[in-house]
Amino acid sequence: MADSYSEGRTGDGEYQEQFLNDKTLRRLGAAIAGLFTLGVGGFIAAIIFTQVDFELLVEIIHPQFVNAFFRVLGIVLVGSLLSVTAGVFVGLGRVSNTKFTNAVATAYVEFFRGTPLLFQLLVIYVGIPAFWPPGQFPISNWAIPTAIIGLTLNHAAYVGEAVRGGIDAVPEGQMEAARSLGMSYVQGMREVVLPQAWRNALAAIGNDQVILVKDTSLLTVIAIPELISAFRNVNSTTFDPWTPIILVAIAYLMITIPLGKIVSYLEARSDWGGDRR
Amino acid sequence: MSLLEFDGVDKYFGETHVLKDIDLNVEEGEVCVVIGPSGSGKSTLLRCANRLEEIQGGEIRLEGQSISAEDADINRLRQRIGMVFQSFNLFPHKTARENVTLAPTKVKGLKKGDATRRADDLLDRVGLGAQSNSYPNQLSGGQQQRVAIARALAMDPHVMLFDEVTSALDPELVGEVLDVMHDLAEEGMTMLVVTHEMGFAREVGDRIVLMADGEVVEDSPPEVFFENPKTDRGKQFLSKLL
Repeated sequence: MADSYSEGRTGDGEYQEQFLNDKTLRRLGAAIAGLFTLGVGGFIAAIIFTQVDFELLVEIIHPQFVNAFFRVLGIVLVGSLLSVTAGVFVGLGRVSNTKFTNAVATAYVEFFRGTPLLFQLLVIYVGIPAFWPPGQFPISNWAIPTAIIGLTLNHAAYVGEAVRGGIDAVPEGQMEAARSLGMSYVQGMREVVLPQAWRNALAAIGNDQVILVKDTSLLTVIAIPELISAFRNVNSTTFDPWTPIILVAIAYLMITIPLGKIVSYLEARSDWGGDRR
Repeated sequence: MSLLEFDGVDKYFGETHVLKDIDLNVEEGEVCVVIGPSGSGKSTLLRCANRLEEIQGGEIRLEGQSISAEDADINRLRQRIGMVFQSFNLFPHKTARENVTLAPTKVKGLKKGDATRRADDLLDRVGLGAQSNSYPNQLSGGQQQRVAIARALAMDPHVMLFDEVTSALDPELVGEVLDVMHDLAEEGMTMLVVTHEMGFAREVGDRIVLMADGEVVEDSPPEVFFENPKTDRGKQFLSKLL
C-alpha cells in the first residue's frame, strides 16, 4: 500500500506490519538521539580533558569574565524591560484604526526589522555624537547608552509584532463584550484584550528576548567589554581558544536558560482554568 | 415616548442594504421578540441598538436620547443597554465573579466589596452561586451564557438585548438559559430578543416582529402571529417551521 510510514490497511482488510511503522520509527529516532548524545558528550569530554587549561581558567574567571557577565546581565535587564514596554506600544500602534498611528508604527517596524542591529548600533554610536563639534559631545561613556538604546529600539520592533499577533488572536467578541458593558476602548484594551494578547504573545516575546541576550555579542564592536571581547582578550594573549570559549558558553547559558524558565513560569501562571494544561 | 425607538433606520454593509427604513418601538417592560430567516438583518438590528454597528440613516433613541448621533456619549448610554451574545464572549482570564464585577468597578466606580456582593447575588439568581470562582472554560455552555446574563445585569440596564443566545448551545442546555430569561421577563425587564426558539417567543414574547430582507414585515402579538398571521410573509414563515 502507498502509506508505508504506519500500519497500513491492506487490500484484504487486515492490518499488516510494514517496513517503516510507528514502532521502528520511534526506535530509529531514539538511536539517532543516542548517537548524537555520544558524539557531543565525547567531544565535550575531549575538550575538557585535552584542551582546557584549568589554571588559566581560574586566573581569567575573575575579574575579567565575572565583570563581563554582570555587564551583559545589566544591559540585558534594562534592555528587556525597555524593549518589552516599548514593544507593547508598538503593537498597539500596529492595531490602531487611526491611519497615521498605524503607518508610523508600521514604518518603525519595517525600519528596525529591516536593517541590521549592528548598523543601528553604529548609527547611534558614531552618528549621534556627530551633531556636536568634535570633542564636545557631553556623554563621556556613550557606548553603554548606545547599547541600551540600540537593543531597545531594535527589539521593540520584534516585540511589537509579537504583541500585534497576540492582539489579533483575541476574538473580536471580547472587545465587543467590553464595549457593550460601557467600557471605553482603552479600558477594553487594558482589562480584556491585552491580558489575553499577552498570553498569546508570551512565547514569541520570550523567544525574542533570548535573541536580545545573544545580540549583546555585537556590542564588542562598540568597545563594550562584554563576553566576546573577554574571549578575544584572553585568546590573543595566551593563544588558548578553548578555555575562554567554555566560559563564554557557560555565561550566555546562565542568562538564557533561566530566561526560558521565567517565560514558562509566566505562561503557566496565565492558565485560567486549565485549557493549556 | 417609548424606551427604545428605531426611527427610519438604514444600514448598509458596503453596497448591501441590510436594514431598510426600520421603524420599531420597544415599550418599557415589554418583551419584543424578533424572528426571521437568517440574513434578514435581525442580529444587525440588535447590534445597531447599542452601536456595535453604525447606521447610515435614521435615528435610534434610548429613553429619548439619541444613540446614533455623532456626539452621543456612547459609553454612558451603553451602561443602560445590556447585551448577551450568541458566543457568550465571557472574559476567559477572569472567574465568573470577576466577569460580573469588572464593568461595575471600572465603569461605575463601585467599591470592590459592593460589586462582589452584587455579583454573588446575581450569580445566585441565575443558579450559579456555587460556580463563582470557576473560569469560563470550566463551565458548560449553558452556565457560561447564564454568567454572561449576570454580567450584563450587573450594570443595571434599562433594556436587555439577546442575540440568538441559545444558538450555540447543546440542545439539553437551552432550557436553563431560557428559564433565566423567562424569570427576567416576569420581573418586568424590557427585552429585545432575537431567537429561533419559537416556543419561547410564543410563551414569553409580548410582541413578535418578523423580519425579512432587512424589513419588518409583520409586528403582531404572539397569539395573532402564531395562530393567524396578518401577512403572507408571516404565513409563509410559519409554514416552513412546521
